[in-house]
Amino acid sequence: MIKKLSVVILALILALNGASCASQPENKRYEAEFLSLFDTVTRIVGYAESKEKFTEQAQLLHDSLEEYHRLYDIYTDYEGISNIKTINEQAGIAPVKVDRRIIDLLIFAKEAYKTTNGQLNVAMGSVLKIWHDYREAGIDAPENAKLPSLDQLTAAAAHTDIDKVIIDEENSTVYLEDPQMSLDVGGIAKGYATEQVAEIAEKNGITSVLISVGGNVRAIGKRGDGTAWKVGVQNPIDEQGENVCDVPLTDASLVTSGTYERYYVVDGQKYHHIIDPDTLFPANYFVSVTILCKDSGMADALAKIFNMPYEEGLTLIESLPDTEALWVFQDGTLKYSSGFPIE
Amino acid sequence: MSNMTFAKKTDVIIVLIILVISGISWWGYQHFSAEKQVKAEIYYYSDLVMTVDLQEKEERSFALPQDEHVVFHLYKDGSIAFEASDCPDQVCVHAGRIRTSGQFAACLPKGFVLKIVPAGEHDEDDTDIVVGR
Repeated sequence: MIKKLSVVILALILALNGASCASQPENKRYEAEFLSLFDTVTRIVGYAESKEKFTEQAQLLHDSLEEYHRLYDIYTDYEGISNIKTINEQAGIAPVKVDRRIIDLLIFAKEAYKTTNGQLNVAMGSVLKIWHDYREAGIDAPENAKLPSLDQLTAAAAHTDIDKVIIDEENSTVYLEDPQMSLDVGGIAKGYATEQVAEIAEKNGITSVLISVGGNVRAIGKRGDGTAWKVGVQNPIDEQGENVCDVPLTDASLVTSGTYERYYVVDGQKYHHIIDPDTLFPANYFVSVTILCKDSGMADALAKIFNMPYEEGLTLIESLPDTEALWVFQDGTLKYSSGFPIE
Repeated sequence: MSNMTFAKKTDVIIVLIILVISGISWWGYQHFSAEKQVKAEIYYYSDLVMTVDLQEKEERSFALPQDEHVVFHLYKDGSIAFEASDCPDQVCVHAGRIRTSGQFAACLPKGFVLKIVPAGEHDEDDTDIVVGR
């Protein structure tokens, strides 16, 4: 009896230990945050054999993102770099010779303009600058917060023709034909750069990292224990901060756009930063839209279905392969595209 | 044939022991995984400057010596938020309350990151990163 009991208990202990070992990740988990890139928080979660190895990986990601950040900046000059700001300053004057990574971004943006039926327009700088200035002034002095006039916005919108962004691939130049137009790549730069940096990381042998650049999340491989990364989507209107759902992510991207952080208040009403190119005012169909697809740049661009009525956005999403979306409406209603994975 | 029994007494005892151990293990898993504990970490320019126990069940506001103009608020329900900041964009305050693993908020101009992490080791059920605020 005792012998039999010993065998059973030993078997149980081995089984429990076996299960424990099976779920033990091969590499340790590490996290890093950077505050200096793309005017947002960059988070990196990764599995590596040592802290030094992870630091090396995080540094590669940081340095690569920093290069893109400088190239796509519209506010700051950097010594020896012609960036988007330089292109804007030369609007109507002369083509600007730029890094190939700017050419590639603008070619991608022109394609995304077509895919999103014009909702993503990097040539809307003149309109977005007006909103940016009013929002900054409204946050600085809430008692004097004002809305821009429709006349002012309409006048600026006359200078947003993306066909007047002339890209010369052979000479690697960009020229804005309209002297009053300007580029604002804020709607796509983070997602596009995240995708490019993820590809650089993969080429450098990084196999298990999750990158988030201001809500643009790109998964490389799986976690160290072989399970899919788990990315939560928070409910913007839940005061307690609950998540809407968790999404399993492997070698894919998830991007959320919403009204919740960047806004100002005029006469008791919130005005957020996502401007509808048709009305020239913030769209108010939803509080957030989340896109799931392979490419982080495309996910960022498609998040502009925020400006479309639900049915129109759904039709667009369902027409694209391996692309899903989640909409959170003003009243808290949730809607998903047909293949959105909900946990 | 009449001497054959369906199971010996010792076999029944062994089966009962296995069932009891399995039951205890299942209860333990359900109990401890259902009440997964989390904590908040506050970073100031990449340095961990404070860990906050979210199970205090007491509501309070506090600031850190690194910058007393940035005020945090801990709620009774175990959530935490940036309550006030003299930063220009107020994105940190707009981020609202956070409480589950993977959620975070940040005050970029002031260099603070507030994030929720598991109190123990990160496991398969924990969310890695949360977006949407």
